[in-house]
Amino acid sequence: MKKTQRNAEPDAAWKQPAPGHVRVYVWEWPIRFSHWVMVITIISLSITGYYMHAPYVAARGRTAYVMGTMRFVHLVSGFAFLGAILIRMYWFLFANRWSRWNQYIPTTKKRFGNLIAVGKYYGFMAWSPVRYIGHNPMACAAYAVVYAMAIVEILTGFALYSQVLGSKTLNFFVGWIPHLIDIQWIREIHFLIMFGFWMFFIHHIYTAILVSIEEENGLMDSIFSGYKFISEEELLKDPAVEELQESGERATTVQEKNTHTTV
Amino acid sequence: MKALPEFELRSALEARGISRRQFVKFCSTMVATLALPPRYLGAVVKALDQTTRPVLVWLEFQDCAGNSESMLRSGHPSVGDFVLELLSWEYHELIMAGAGKRAEDTLERVLREHKGEYIAVIEGAIPTADDGVYCTIGGKSALDIARRVCSNAAINIAVGACAWDGGLVRSNPNPTGAVGLQEAVPGIKNLVNLGGCPHNPANTAAVLVHYLTFHELPALDHYNRPLFAYGNIIHDQCERRAHYDAGRYVEEWGDEGHRKGWCLYKVGCKGPEATYNCPTVRWNEGTSWPVKAGHGCIACASPRFWDTKSPFYDRLPKVPGFGVDVKAEEIGWVATAAVGAAMVAQVAGNIVRDKIRAKHMPVEENKSSGSSEHPEA
Repeated sequence: MKKTQRNAEPDAAWKQPAPGHVRVYVWEWPIRFSHWVMVITIISLSITGYYMHAPYVAARGRTAYVMGTMRFVHLVSGFAFLGAILIRMYWFLFANRWSRWNQYIPTTKKRFGNLIAVGKYYGFMAWSPVRYIGHNPMACAAYAVVYAMAIVEILTGFALYSQVLGSKTLNFFVGWIPHLIDIQWIREIHFLIMFGFWMFFIHHIYTAILVSIEEENGLMDSIFSGYKFISEEELLKDPAVEELQESGERATTVQEKNTHTTV
Repeated sequence: MKALPEFELRSALEARGISRRQFVKFCSTMVATLALPPRYLGAVVKALDQTTRPVLVWLEFQDCAGNSESMLRSGHPSVGDFVLELLSWEYHELIMAGAGKRAEDTLERVLREHKGEYIAVIEGAIPTADDGVYCTIGGKSALDIARRVCSNAAINIAVGACAWDGGLVRSNPNPTGAVGLQEAVPGIKNLVNLGGCPHNPANTAAVLVHYLTFHELPALDHYNRPLFAYGNIIHDQCERRAHYDAGRYVEEWGDEGHRKGWCLYKVGCKGPEATYNCPTVRWNEGTSWPVKAGHGCIACASPRFWDTKSPFYDRLPKVPGFGVDVKAEEIGWVATAAVGAAMVAQVAGNIVRDKIRAKHMPVEENKSSGSSEHPEA
């Protein structure tokens, strides 16, 4: 079998951007790592979690251990998901400007205005999307909801696990939850939020393909490699930077551009 | 504790046809129920032999007398027999001979002569709406009686779901404003809650035996329930657990799995949510318990179980705001399908937009500007 080899040298041909474009390192490794761990664990958690709600596989043979296996995979995936969320939460504070926490909550009027502008594009009230190097404000708002759902899933999941485990340490962290809300409702919330993840999953893949086609900047590749191909003009007028400023003053200097550019 | 002179436990038991051997067997059952090491058997036998027969009053409020029945019909020689002989039951509406003023005088006498010494057992919820008119005995409201009796008792035992947290009486919509004892009389001392519908008499007897032996209450959880009875999940003690782990489930009542004794998880068994010692202590002299008999657990010993654990034959509660037949998973699937359909519509819309964009698009929007709403200065 012929093996395809990719030239990994720093000046490999495929890394060379088109004229007038730069190759920008947008998504740092903690972002990509936590992203893919979340993808894998959400899939495995959904498959096993749905089984735990309504067992859909008939057990065969005398040595079957279907539910036991499902629960084991669910627990391992749950801890991996927690790890990925913690990495991402930590990185909210130290990420580059496209993945920092203030991207995910519209803190300024400008960013909120752009959120509406993106909404108009999805509502077929605008011809083209607002171009962003990182996330657009509406995507970020959706991710904020997803992270909120993830935190609720983790809390409810560990509250349920604490009941099974009977550990005092775990009970210290989540023991207050069953005092506020009955264990059955904790299950219900834990179950219903799974569908929230499914809805996001469908929407997320659709918009990733859509924006990748619309903007033609290597968006789909960027979640694997971290790099996007951005025109120099666009890099100088990054909406993520402009939105955070009081006036329309331009902050991105050529110097700053270079710090974010790797060719 | 004030002794009643005529009492001698051994002869009293023999008069009822209960041998010494049966008495020691009862004591070892109690030691096992309390999850104490076997070496405590001697201490329990000695303490019960020397007990001075403390006074007990059993109050019934908004109840079905099911907990009294459970106590009295617990086999032969029954736990009930022992407990009836160990303690002097001065007042219990279901079984006492007296009635009317004479019965109420008995309660007054206990309150007067044995203040701070008697054991109070409460059965049934206490109504609080409209000054508690929905349950009155001898012209006094249940709330008044509970306040008087329970604040002067050595220990208070709330038996059954109703006395613990209101139970069935308190379940939605609760027209009488019923609550359990600890809510009706806040700050009550030496309270043991023995939830369950009905309570298991073995547990109640074990609490009494523990008190008579050690003169203190057993270790309690945050609901004031004894840990020996409510410390473990039913699911973890269930004899059908192996079928659960294997993945063999009863799909519907009477099917092959049901006849073979498979797990009742899919028909709504609440064993994984409930804590109780039902699977180990069991009922009717350890004969059986609901799940062994082929019916799922309804978590009758869990807080507010009528509201929180229903529907009893489904895994999850109904989502409020939807029809009674709509399950949570149906809502989830429909919502997910709706998002999927919306995305398909988006794809179609984007294909159309892409086709007509070149004709209609304004020139300034064509640029890759950062913000169309706030154009750069």
